[in-house]
Amino acid sequence: MAYYQQQQGYGQPQAPPPGGVDQGFLWNVFQKVDKDRSGQISTKELGDALSNGSWTPFNPETIRLMIGMFDRDNSGSINFQEFAQLWKYVTDWQNCFRTYDRDNSGSIDKNELKTAMTGFGYRLSDRFYDILVRKFDRQGRGTVAFDDFIQCCVVLQTLTAAFRQHDTDQDGWIQIGYEQFLTLVFNLKS
Amino acid sequence: MAHPYGQQPYGQAPYGAPPQGQYPGQPGYGAPPPAQYVPPPAGQYGAPGGMPGQPGMPGQMPYGGAPIAGPPPGMDPQVYLWFQSVDTDRSGQITAIELQQALVNANWSHFNAETTRLMIGMFDRDFSGTINLQEFAALWNYIQQWKGVFEQTDQNRTGSIEAHELTGAFQRMGYNVSPQFANMVVCKFDTLGRRQLTLDNFIQACVMLKTLTDNFVSRDAQRQGNIRLSYEEFMCLAVANKP
Repeated sequence: MAYYQQQQGYGQPQAPPPGGVDQGFLWNVFQKVDKDRSGQISTKELGDALSNGSWTPFNPETIRLMIGMFDRDNSGSINFQEFAQLWKYVTDWQNCFRTYDRDNSGSIDKNELKTAMTGFGYRLSDRFYDILVRKFDRQGRGTVAFDDFIQCCVVLQTLTAAFRQHDTDQDGWIQIGYEQFLTLVFNLKS
Repeated sequence: MAHPYGQQPYGQAPYGAPPQGQYPGQPGYGAPPPAQYVPPPAGQYGAPGGMPGQPGMPGQMPYGGAPIAGPPPGMDPQVYLWFQSVDTDRSGQITAIELQQALVNANWSHFNAETTRLMIGMFDRDFSGTINLQEFAALWNYIQQWKGVFEQTDQNRTGSIEAHELTGAFQRMGYNVSPQFANMVVCKFDTLGRRQLTLDNFIQACVMLKTLTDNFVSRDAQRQGNIRLSYEEFMCLAVANKP
């Protein structure tokens, strides 16, 4: 059976490694992105600003997901402080992604994805990674692009956190009710 | 011990099946409660190709271009014409992008990308990633059935579904879920922040509810409304069924 065996099997999903960014530089970026000079970046402005490294538009689901993560005041848009955190988050992920994207193609295949996730501490089977790639491969090439990779990491993190919360005795098994289960999966909608 | 979610764990048996009487017929896998199939009138939403049925529109194709061979035996000629108008590059296959352009909601917005992918995933029997004529006919019929359910659910005829209407629809379909759940679904699936579901979002939510319930029930042999899952199973289930 491919189910995980060890006690700490589902690992320690980590934030990507840190990197420092100059505030002045960031302020310039923010002003360029904030095209209507509102002091707030909208979903659309962020979408226009983010590059996938392959000339394909950034996945709008990933953008909504990230705005949702960093929009602390629930305004539906992000201010400069929130933008600084988002920027760091994206560039950290980008650096992390590049180390796995050996041919610089802007996307990673199943084995590279598995290596990355295993590096983050996840212990999951090949069958799981087959499902994961199928779900996050929007180009139909059997690979996962950078924007979808971010989404993929966030989903794994969210799900693992939810599992942990239910797994009170930390034995890698949970007991879950019907509506709880439904709510958990429906909540993944970004 | 009383079940935490009402008298029966997931509503009336059979699970997720359409309510007796209201939506008669036998449900298939992921099938909507079959509504009576009525060919849609001209320009109605859910229809591919902008204004299907409008005089001269789909029929116009033969001008100058390659002559259109007639529909295969047994194929609804209307569906055949729609396929032709959706297949803009004449490849004989409809891609996700062509399909998304073709499917419209009551407010004329295009179907969202997720629902379009969901539809292709369900009807692309040969796993080509695209939809051929036969697959399109089945997909088309499926969307028409959902449209029927959507219209019955949309009791105040606004062209979209509100939380209380969704609660009623879930109950009639036999799912024992709370009004809070239906409310959460509406908030999550309505990307415009209007607390209303368009046809595409409604289909997506109902198909998700059906497959998740099927998955849950298949693991709940004792019908307790609770299942035991390992980390790996949980992750596979959630990722495979995520929107």
